[in-house]
Amino acid sequence: MTLLTDTWFIAKRELIKFLRTKVRVVVTLVQPILWLGLMGNMMGKVFDNPYVAQAMGVSNYMAFMTPGIIIMTVLFGGVFGGISIVWDRRVGYLEKLLAAPIHRGAIPFGKTLAVMIQNGIQVLAIVGIAAAFGVHFETGFAGILGLMIVAMFFGAILSSISLSLAASIKTMETLMAIVNFLTMPLMFTSTALFPSEAMPNWLAAIARINPVTYAVGPIRELVLHGWDWSKILPGLAVIVGLAILFMLISQLIFQRATTD
Amino acid sequence: MSKTIEVENLVKVYRNGVRAVDGLSFSVDKGEIFGFLGPNGAGKSTTIKILIGLVNPTEGRLLVNGIDITKHTTEIKRATGYASQETAIDDRLTAWENITLQGHYYHLNGREIRTRSEEILRMFDLYERRNDLAETFSGGMLKRLDIAEALIHRPQILFLDEPTLGLDVQTRQVIWTYIERLREEHGMTIFVTTHYMEEADTLCDRVTIIDRGTIKAIDRPEALKAQLGGDVITVSFSANSEPTSVLERIRQIEQVLSIEKNGNGAHRIMVSEEGEKIVPQLFALCEKEGITIDAVSLKKASLDDVYLHYTGHAMRNAEESKETHFKARMMRGKARRK
Ligand SMILES: Nc1ncnc2c1ncn2[C@@H]1O[C@H](COP(=O)(O)OP(=O)(O)OP(=O)(O)O)[C@@H](O)[C@H]1O
Ligand SMILES: [Mg+2]
Repeated sequence: MTLLTDTWFIAKRELIKFLRTKVRVVVTLVQPILWLGLMGNMMGKVFDNPYVAQAMGVSNYMAFMTPGIIIMTVLFGGVFGGISIVWDRRVGYLEKLLAAPIHRGAIPFGKTLAVMIQNGIQVLAIVGIAAAFGVHFETGFAGILGLMIVAMFFGAILSSISLSLAASIKTMETLMAIVNFLTMPLMFTSTALFPSEAMPNWLAAIARINPVTYAVGPIRELVLHGWDWSKILPGLAVIVGLAILFMLISQLIFQRATTD
Repeated sequence: MSKTIEVENLVKVYRNGVRAVDGLSFSVDKGEIFGFLGPNGAGKSTTIKILIGLVNPTEGRLLVNGIDITKHTTEIKRATGYASQETAIDDRLTAWENITLQGHYYHLNGREIRTRSEEILRMFDLYERRNDLAETFSGGMLKRLDIAEALIHRPQILFLDEPTLGLDVQTRQVIWTYIERLREEHGMTIFVTTHYMEEADTLCDRVTIIDRGTIKAIDRPEALKAQLGGDVITVSFSANSEPTSVLERIRQIEQVLSIEKNGNGAHRIMVSEEGEKIVPQLFALCEKEGITIDAVSLKKASLDDVYLHYTGHAMRNAEESKETHFKARMMRGKARRK
């Protein structure tokens, strides 16, 4: 019981700060506008050619790309979980948390919950902006809720990874660099931005096993096609499974790193 | 008197092999203000962190409120309050947000948190500024807020790690007034570290001097100063007077340890304590005997002397912790921005 409430108050602190940092909120909104506006328009022209569209299996590139942007935003937001721990350790706040009778596990869980809620807010913003650009969401409100859930669990994976790294990486710059170093290639070797039909064979092979592809899959299915559980469930299962796994790993690493 | 803290043969070896605490034994009474003094890296912060269950001891027996702290960490955490050397305030939150979150970390209910936060912030003169971001606070305000937060769950024992570090004289006095008030009004036991000797001297009931993880001295400040020879009264009598009988009477006063004549003909009277009370007696005696005094001076023994006696004069740069450096840098940066 206290694990849940403690987790919430750890998360609440991060959320107050997230909403207070106007820049981060603005970037959250501007980034998808840029991606959809620039990328979507540019690539949209290519995919306007009916032969290309058919060969790639993509009829509306803007709608195709929206799930990619969702996942990309989540991918880059995960690092904040780890960064907040690095910062808390630096200023002594982590010690203050550890001196309080809160459930120890609540600290990494709370950080991850905060990232997940931020992801949820960001996803909603992207969905709104995409709708304004004329993207039609096949599965409506329930589908949007569904894709939010997938995105948030995907965010939990990223947050947990950055939290785990933060146990041994003690400066924010290094952590940022390493997380970017991991997320960039993950992004471009997945089907987030381009359909696998447009990829050379070797890349398509990597994309098939890339977890990012598993996260994009169900979201894209919900945006473009509908409730085909046979296409949604496998991706969802992999993402939720990985989220639980990485959350437990981050938990173990955190416990070890904070016992002196 | 009941013991609030009992430590026996405490040893802490960090994972990197540093032996930060090396066999400490001491006890703290209920309602006592207990000072912990020592050079950088002496092991003061480490000792506190062990006593609040933040760091695991390598060896030793530790009882807080009669409870073994290694077995009942949560209970100890509820009974103790801690304001760290680093002043751990989240400066992107307001004072109110900082203190109420702290209340939630201690599992208080919403109403308790609101009434106590208001009460404590008023006591620390921060209530008017409660809705300002902590990043707009001065170093003194941050420190006050940090101590205020440590009180939200009404701890029986308060651990203050350098509560007056880097503060001006006025703020330091204000903080010490709070500390005394907490002891008076709530019978709180206060365990405090400081590098300011005169603070420890006037405010602590007992002080401990530690160095390299071991206790060098532990006693009331008065007693420690007395051991080092106490106060010195230097008196020069008029050249034509014969003070032998006066000196004989002075020698019989209980606190007077010895009298000797120094190079320029003045007499040095060593007094174990309260030299200022001996001086009037000296005057009275001389008046009765018709002896004139040319000059008199009183040098009070200071805790500085005691401290230097036990810890030596060498600086302890090498052992200064990294976090301390970082914090000092941040504080300096803050001062520059102001
Ligand atoms: N987490 C840690 N890991 C390894 N060594 C540590 C750790 N914390 C402190 N030390 C070392 O233990 C020794 C005692 O440090 P401690 O912080 O207890 O000293 P201190 O008396 O509080 O000093 P200061 O006056 O500088 O605050 C130092 O040599 C320090 O470098
Ligand atoms: Mg210290």
